Amino acid sequence: MINIEKSNLKKMSQEKMLTEKESLDLIATMIQKAKGNFHERGTSAIMWGAVVGFCGLFSFFKFEYEINTGWFDVWFLTLLAIIPQIYLALKESRDIKVKTHQQEALNAVWIVYGITIFGVVAYGNIVPGATEQIFKSVGKELLEKNIASGEIKIYHPQVFSQSSLLLLVYAFPTLVTGLVKKFKPMLYGAILCYALFIASLFTQVKYDMLFNGIAGIFNWLIPGLILRNRFKKGLPC
Amino acid sequence: MFKELDPILHSQLRLSVMSLLISVKEAEFTFIKEKTNATAGNLSVQVQKLKDVGYIDVKKEFKDNYPLTTLNITAKGIECFEQYVKDLQQYLQVK
Repeated sequence: MINIEKSNLKKMSQEKMLTEKESLDLIATMIQKAKGNFHERGTSAIMWGAVVGFCGLFSFFKFEYEINTGWFDVWFLTLLAIIPQIYLALKESRDIKVKTHQQEALNAVWIVYGITIFGVVAYGNIVPGATEQIFKSVGKELLEKNIASGEIKIYHPQVFSQSSLLLLVYAFPTLVTGLVKKFKPMLYGAILCYALFIASLFTQVKYDMLFNGIAGIFNWLIPGLILRNRFKKGLPC
Repeated sequence: MFKELDPILHSQLRLSVMSLLISVKEAEFTFIKEKTNATAGNLSVQVQKLKDVGYIDVKKEFKDNYPLTTLNITAKGIECFEQYVKDLQQYLQVK
């Protein structure tokens, strides 16, 4: 293959006519140049990975050591993280000189992921209360019985192992990105996430929280740091 | 019987621009300039030729008070580019 070196490219100003072979070589070189230009800084991945990782691990230790945080739920931090996330995404998008079809498609996948996470969290917060109201509206109430003491009291419905659903949702965009970009750290992170999902079906809430934290670290934080390192070295993703 | 190669594409700089744009959704003028190493003036002339025949779209706007030119390949441009590559391959197979 003929290399289209800089010196040759500079001759373009003369609008040189090409041989058939040179034309094909030029096409291949330019397509390669375009491909080698796409860099991912990994900012979003680092941020989400750090926040979810921290929240998951903190929740686990909170359950494990019965730490009282009052009304404050550490998972609120994920909502706060949205603000710098949007700011950084806008700031980075200004520096992007070229948009690819692949990146557009992946952006759409991550937007759908965001909506789905919001939906799952809303489901977990709304469905128990709504279920209770539906039962009341037909004159019924759920009761729970203590097998040991025989005590019966009103049962307030809850969504069991909601964190398992979150793990399932986390894995989806990560696996898609890993497969499309052939980026192994995200591919392995997603596989680990599915394994944690299966494990979480059988574990207590505190371990589900731990799994969420691990998922955040391996799905996004570590791949994000690898991306950042590659970006600094000028290597394409 | 050989088809004549598309004269619009059979030129080094115009072919470079089309080859870059075929791989992406859209690209800024500065990106194309950087990758082709062409002068802004010459690139503008060739971009205009590609635009005139409907192979690319050129969008001009302002970003932070600076003019920003964005290019993208059209459906006609993709079709003609693919035909051009097929014609090239036909030539090379016979040779």
